[in-house]
Amino acid sequence: MKKQTVSHKVFAIVASILVVLAAILGWTAFSHPSASAQSNGRIKVVFWHEMTGPAQQQLIKFSKQFNQSQKKYEVVPEFEGSYNEAVQKIINTHGTDASPAVFQSMDISTSQMHHTGYTTPVQKFIDADNYDVNKISAGARAFYSNQGTQLSMPFNTSQPVLFYNATLLKKLGVTPPPVNPSYSDITKVAKQVMEKSNKKVQGMSVEIYGWLFEQFMANSGASFANNDDGHASTPTASNLTGPSTVNTMKWLQTNVKDGVFANYGAGGNALNNEIASFLSGRLAMFLQSSATTTQLTKGNKDQVGITYYPHPDGQKSNGVAIGGASLWISNDKSAAVQRGSWDFIKFLMTAKSQAEWQAATGYLALNKDSQKQPALLNMYKKLPESRVPGEQLAAAKPNNTNSGIFMQGLIQARNLTQTAMEQIYAGSNIQKALQTAQSSLNGNIKNNNRANGY
Amino acid sequence: MQAEVTPAPKPKVDQSSAISHKRAKGYNLHAGDKYYAFAFLGPSLLVLGTFVFYPMLRTLYLSLFLTNNVGRPTVFVGLKNYIGLLTSSAYQASLQATAVYVIGVVALTLILGLLLAQLAVKKLAGIQWFRTIFSATMGVSVSVAAIFWLFIFSPSIGLFDQIGNFLHLPIVAWLTQPGPAMFAVIISTVWMNLGFTFLILFGALQMVPQPLYEASAIEGASESYQFFHVTIPMISPTLFFTSTVTLIGAFKSFGLIDLMTAGGPNNATNLMVYRVYQDAFLSGNYGIASAESVILAVIIALFTLLQFKFLEKRVTY
Repeated sequence: MKKQTVSHKVFAIVASILVVLAAILGWTAFSHPSASAQSNGRIKVVFWHEMTGPAQQQLIKFSKQFNQSQKKYEVVPEFEGSYNEAVQKIINTHGTDASPAVFQSMDISTSQMHHTGYTTPVQKFIDADNYDVNKISAGARAFYSNQGTQLSMPFNTSQPVLFYNATLLKKLGVTPPPVNPSYSDITKVAKQVMEKSNKKVQGMSVEIYGWLFEQFMANSGASFANNDDGHASTPTASNLTGPSTVNTMKWLQTNVKDGVFANYGAGGNALNNEIASFLSGRLAMFLQSSATTTQLTKGNKDQVGITYYPHPDGQKSNGVAIGGASLWISNDKSAAVQRGSWDFIKFLMTAKSQAEWQAATGYLALNKDSQKQPALLNMYKKLPESRVPGEQLAAAKPNNTNSGIFMQGLIQARNLTQTAMEQIYAGSNIQKALQTAQSSLNGNIKNNNRANGY
Repeated sequence: MQAEVTPAPKPKVDQSSAISHKRAKGYNLHAGDKYYAFAFLGPSLLVLGTFVFYPMLRTLYLSLFLTNNVGRPTVFVGLKNYIGLLTSSAYQASLQATAVYVIGVVALTLILGLLLAQLAVKKLAGIQWFRTIFSATMGVSVSVAAIFWLFIFSPSIGLFDQIGNFLHLPIVAWLTQPGPAMFAVIISTVWMNLGFTFLILFGALQMVPQPLYEASAIEGASESYQFFHVTIPMISPTLFFTSTVTLIGAFKSFGLIDLMTAGGPNNATNLMVYRVYQDAFLSGNYGIASAESVILAVIIALFTLLQFKFLEKRVTY
């Protein structure tokens, strides 16, 4: 019996040692290989992005070109899934070997990214290099700056615009909407389309999308949140029930009620269905990001018209904000790596790179000199309408209501405004739907400010 | 049953006394057994502790806090996250939607699964084909299923829409109206579940002893009478198992919801798990998301307990 006990002891000890060993082995195996910062003598700069399709291909191309253009750094692009998921990944990996040196983060994460304190504002490098930022679109820069400091570099940038099927309108004998249309201009065209096509073609559509909701407010000069949309200081409350917002929602709801409006719902499927309907000639007009231009024009026999985002009747358009994402530099990496990140950003912002970027993806070229680049001139020749989004961006003078909302928790805010839009499209009381969204949002803002100690 | 029929008093007493003797010792283990217990349980305890118990406790802890923009708990709010959730109309709507979804999915999966199994158990020419087809959805991944059903439900270019157009039926906006959207995700989930349920129930049906049917047939029982009084009782343990598994699975449904409706329209299909995902991984609101997870875990545990308490009693043998 005694002998057996000893063997039990030995067995137990050996087993526990094995477990510990396995754990250590597993640990070392999974800890990130990029711990070795240097490869073939170059400083490794890990670049996280969220682009798919042609944009991803172009980013890989840019990285290769940059790596060939110099011998000091090696940029390694890594795809990290959707915008929303990437934000959490960036935050959760900060300070570890797995974190990126330079990363792309979406428009509405700007305030959050800044407040994490995990980034080095690109302003530091702009000042150090005397980099001429005036070449970069002012509207795009304004979105990613705070109190005169450029936090991140605007990158893939789009504008909300109105698309219409020019060929179809011509066939039906309907005059297309003017360059800078008002709400009633759009309604007029939509009604004519329905009438002249015997209701075979839907007049218009506005996707249930928080971004578009925000742009309606921007274009009518209304603030989404107090303290100048957060540009003066941290917002403490939202304002979704102002007369101009109610007026916009009334316009949408009336068109839904009059049957000249197709509702494709919310989310990725909504966009796909909207595009499919437009391409098959069942939808005449819709508001969407200019980033869909390529998708709408490639292989489409019909001529696609593009014009400015609509504004309320009886007032001038204030201009819309941009959409898309910007490039940030993490501050958990060495000065050399941060410098490499900045050099890469500069490479991406050259007139040539920006022109190629727009030609390949439909995102707007932000460098003013890009307009003379062959890549863009070729594109304009083939598709004259593709000038319009860039013109709209250049026409808007940045102010506090059209430079985005500098507030945290905007993803939740969009969920709330989208729910309100859904209810309004379904015929609910406009004031009530907006009020519900506003009070939920104010609760979120209060909690968020409390949790962050503002 | 047989043990009761043939009572053997003497050995029975011996047996029970032997058991009570062991009980009386309170499972006092030999010294050596202790090491064995440690060696065998240690690794699994380590793994469970790290990946199950610690996250559970951490979730409970986080649910009592507000979290800041990097996900750290900063302000202790006690039960306010829970109170805020349970009194918000949006969360109540989510609970309601989850109830509708779970009931719909469990009921339809069991009924259709049983129906298919009952059909496939018949010995007919070519039945093998049908058995394979019926269980085929087991091999379909969620993303493929979502694409398949999206193609069917899609407005203006979807299969249902085309058929509706052809037959001049009113157009249903399957995924953009609250009611139809819930119907659409339930149907898709049931379709996904069917393969597994069919296979399990089919196996159970084959295990029902043939003599029982023969005997009841001699007694003059109709086929439907046989089904409800022979088949159902005989496969009741399997039915219980599948209902529990389907119920828990339905509560945890995520992939199809994410790909088909993303919780919309108007939050009509924003089920509890999907809200947890949205709050944690989209909004970074870990406090609220943790509270939602705890509520979900409690509800699932409650239902599982209820099932074991009441349904298992109705399980014959």
